[in-house]
Amino acid sequence: MRLSFVGFAWRNVWRRRLRTALTLCGIGMGIGAFVALVGFSRSFEHAWLEMYENAGTDLAVVQKTFLNTSVDQSIAPVLQRIPQIAIAAPMIINMMAVTPEVNTLVYGWQANTFEFSALNILEGRRFRDGQQEVMLGELLAGSLNKKVGDTIDLQGGSFTVVGIFRSGSALEAGAIIMPLDQMQSLSGMSGKVTAFHVQLKPAPSGVSPDQWRQQAEDAVSSALPGLRAVPAAERAANNQLVILAHAAAWGTSLIALLVAALGIANTMAMSVFERTKEIGVLRAMGWSRRRVMTLILLEAAALGVAGGVVGVALGWGALHILGMLPQTASIVSSTLPLRTLLDGLIMAILVGVAAGSIPAWRGAQLSPVEALRHE
Amino acid sequence: MSDPTTTPRSEYLLEARDLKKSYENGAIEALRGVSLGIVAGDFLAITGPSGSGKSTLLHLLGGLDLATEGTVLFRGQPVGKSQNGVAAIDIDTYRARWAGFIFQSFHLLPALNALENVQVPMLGTGSHRRDREERARALLVELGLEPRLRQYPNQLSAGERQRVAIARSLVNNPAVLLADEPTGNLDSVNSAKILDLLAQIQERHGTTLIMVTHDLNIAATAHRHVAMRDGRICD
Repeated sequence: MRLSFVGFAWRNVWRRRLRTALTLCGIGMGIGAFVALVGFSRSFEHAWLEMYENAGTDLAVVQKTFLNTSVDQSIAPVLQRIPQIAIAAPMIINMMAVTPEVNTLVYGWQANTFEFSALNILEGRRFRDGQQEVMLGELLAGSLNKKVGDTIDLQGGSFTVVGIFRSGSALEAGAIIMPLDQMQSLSGMSGKVTAFHVQLKPAPSGVSPDQWRQQAEDAVSSALPGLRAVPAAERAANNQLVILAHAAAWGTSLIALLVAALGIANTMAMSVFERTKEIGVLRAMGWSRRRVMTLILLEAAALGVAGGVVGVALGWGALHILGMLPQTASIVSSTLPLRTLLDGLIMAILVGVAAGSIPAWRGAQLSPVEALRHE
Repeated sequence: MSDPTTTPRSEYLLEARDLKKSYENGAIEALRGVSLGIVAGDFLAITGPSGSGKSTLLHLLGGLDLATEGTVLFRGQPVGKSQNGVAAIDIDTYRARWAGFIFQSFHLLPALNALENVQVPMLGTGSHRRDREERARALLVELGLEPRLRQYPNQLSAGERQRVAIARSLVNNPAVLLADEPTGNLDSVNSAKILDLLAQIQERHGTTLIMVTHDLNIAATAHRHVAMRDGRICD
């Protein structure tokens, strides 16, 4: 194969195989953590969006405060009077322990809510309001080994499984759905709900869907000060659970990436020191400081790319495992979104170049004569 | 920056004007005012004992280092530092285009084979890979290394390594070849072969050759000879 500038850089990286392999492991772990954690939090966000989209939810009416948890159920008639709103369905969402090891999302819905339209009941039937009945997502039913007619204990109460359902959203496939009144009683939220999920009437001719939705949002704010109506996509991205998941994922993976960057910086600094005389030869052959710097940065970037490939593979593997574990299967999809994959690779290259920049600058500053004398 | 190939301003190809070089804030004076003119096609030997300043002079003439005082002129144009309003040739460009180096310790890159080592000065210059390889191959064949093209430095004899290094120094078709003790690490048979080869190259390519050596017998093969002592030319 003919020698190229990039090939020369790669040849230099691969000369110290053990050191390069260990550095790649370090970068791989950092990028792997990034891909797995950020992939996890994005998957979580995506599952929320799927849930709203599948049910046909246009808006969610919630409190204006960040940690919004409760809205008076008695406002339902006010919402129903807003001309743009077709249906306003009260709902509660909470996390509960179904076994000492398994926590799952639990939804409280009214038996006649439009949100059932997104579910495919595989076995049994829909629950009835006022009864100690629940429906299980098929993923959860499988992991708990429950079928229709079995009972399940939640917060000290015993509930009969009356249906098993399938859902396109991972958040529902691994969840429990129970009557709203039962959920209010279990959660100590009598007369309160987490949010109202709203379906809008079709926009009249001459009004775009976006304008129609905006009119609905304005009408809610004006009729119910202290509450706001947020589009489903925004609710998916900005609910407190998703925000906390994103923050934890980015925070943890940035620490992992910092460790990876230090590994690259150390490798490149060692490499430049060991090759001082060679850099002197390159300078003597007429290589400019910029060309030497480009070579060393390219070597660091090559380490980043190779580490990124290793990291993406590790991260994908970790996501796959999380997608199968009963503790996390309900909130994570094992598919790796292209955006997360690309972000992982771009992050790896940026980390490589940033970490290699100081060694590259130092290498480029070497005087040819001094470098040639180096022992 | 003007091109010294199109703007000859001096009878000399290369000229040193009152070069001084000191280290450690003047505590060590390696060169104490050296002036020298070298015409195109010359074969100059610089001799002297260790510490006489001969290698320092070679480094300044080749643009590996800059003088503390004084100027190196290539075709009448200052190298590295402008002088009296005359724009300088960029020192990296000078080394890349006009000067070729041969070292006592060969300084081949261990990760590259002979053919690849010769291409190193051309890497990253925008030259086409095939052209680079053809140029390197032609030079190695000319220097009798055709069967050794794919060998790595540790698979070559000392004489072969120096021939690869000579090919590398010629790859950009330099106007000046600067050789620092080119036979210092060779036995007498290989030394004679390398000297013969350098003389042939100098004759065949018309390249100006400046060679530093402490061996007066080797210096005698040159057209011209200057001796140095204590940082000055002494004859």
